[in-house]
Amino acid sequence: MKGRVGSVVCLRLSGTALVALFLAASVHAQVRRFERHFTVQGKPVVTVQNATGRIQVRAWDKQEVMIVGQRGSTNVEVDTEQAGNRIEIATRVISDNANPDALRADYDISVPAESELQVRSDSGNVTVDSVHGDMSFDTVAADLALQDVEGYLVVKSIGGSTICTRCSGRLDATSISGDFKLLQPTMDNVRVQTSSGNIFFDGSFMNRGIYVLKNYSGTIEVRFSSTDSFDVRATSLYGNVINQAPVVPDRHSMPAPRSGLAKSLFGTMNDGRAKVELSSFSGTIKISKRE
Amino acid sequence: MSPTQCAQFERILEEQPDGPLTVDAAAHMKGCADCRLLWSDMEAIRTVAMEWGGQEVEPPEYLWSALRRQLESEGLIRGSIRESSQGSWLSAWFGAAPRWALAGASISLLLIAAMLAGYQKNEPNAAAQIPMRLSISVARPKLVAADLGKALDGDLKQVFDSLPEGNTVLTSSLRENLGIVDNLIAVCEQSVREQPDDPMARDYLYGAYEQKAVLLATAMDRSALEGR
Repeated sequence: MKGRVGSVVCLRLSGTALVALFLAASVHAQVRRFERHFTVQGKPVVTVQNATGRIQVRAWDKQEVMIVGQRGSTNVEVDTEQAGNRIEIATRVISDNANPDALRADYDISVPAESELQVRSDSGNVTVDSVHGDMSFDTVAADLALQDVEGYLVVKSIGGSTICTRCSGRLDATSISGDFKLLQPTMDNVRVQTSSGNIFFDGSFMNRGIYVLKNYSGTIEVRFSSTDSFDVRATSLYGNVINQAPVVPDRHSMPAPRSGLAKSLFGTMNDGRAKVELSSFSGTIKISKRE
Repeated sequence: MSPTQCAQFERILEEQPDGPLTVDAAAHMKGCADCRLLWSDMEAIRTVAMEWGGQEVEPPEYLWSALRRQLESEGLIRGSIRESSQGSWLSAWFGAAPRWALAGASISLLLIAAMLAGYQKNEPNAAAQIPMRLSISVARPKLVAADLGKALDGDLKQVFDSLPEGNTVLTSSLRENLGIVDNLIAVCEQSVREQPDDPMARDYLYGAYEQKAVLLATAMDRSALEGR
């Protein structure tokens, strides 16, 4: 009997402790959670600076910028400011003496579709969905995923990779070791350079489009369909060029490669309406037919 | 001509690139062909820099764009330097640089890289304008690169030491990519040494130096040195 009473008391105490712990955690989470709203007009410019953590930006149909976020700890503070149509969001580290997780901040940001974005992040993932304004990204190790975006896109990364799915407009992107994947792009001006990363372009070359892809090592792969029309110049100084495109000798007098060493392919497919320049120091260049 | 004396000579050049040589260093240089060549390279760089300043020689557009982008991103220049009435664009950059010691490293990279590239993109007669091009790219690539490398290593250490301690991902990514770029530079230098007349090889070396400058600028931007 005594034993049974003891067990019941123990159970009750344990339950109470669990509830207390849960409530405490919940209160802490509530303290670290934040939500801010800014009414805007037209095409706002949204700037986000967040050293560590996830940044997710989505378009919505309200003329409002909503920021919902979670701080990793009280060692970081979030500053927001509105000046007309300019919204600035910045994570500020109060105390550097904390573990990396404590210094992170995660953001879910909803913006009008035509918003312009400027994002700076060191580590963590950045995703942007369905925003149709110009955008720039300055990252170190953060990976970037863009989907259904449109505008002039500028990406500067050190080690982070970029995946761009159904992107439209124009892209200028550089990285040192990051990969670039462009899936179903409808872009007429693409310039991508990475040192040791791979570049993969799987989409149509638009008429009058210019596509310049360059790396030092790694693979550059572009896929074409039989209706694509482009001039191609592919050069790898110490690597290989593997081509499946039925090109004919160049019709537009593009200058020949200036190196006697390089492996190169030089020609025109269909009317040569787009210009495709692929170059690598020691990597492999593949021009593959889309299945 | 002992290696120690050569090392001391190079250190003097690193520490006082514009200063007069000490008596000992001058005496050493007289008897050391390598150091005389290094000195003449440095003189040539100084001369060209002064010529740029004095004659307002237009840099090729790609070099200007790269330098300008970088300097603007570092906050070292604002607005249009070309419109400045105070001296040349080169002296305007240098004079306006509170963090010149660090920024200079990345500028040096770009300048050296541009010389290696030989301005072949826009300047058909560039060789005449840049007389030390051949001595750097062919005769003394290792020495000049090593000299620059030493200066950069000190700068990079300072920058990396002041990166935020809590952000280990940032630090390790920058270090890892620095290794990649250094390796790239080594491979490209080797390529230029083997094929000194190949313009593509020089282009890639130029690009590799530019990448290192970008990396250094990014590290500076993220470090606690920013804003000092």
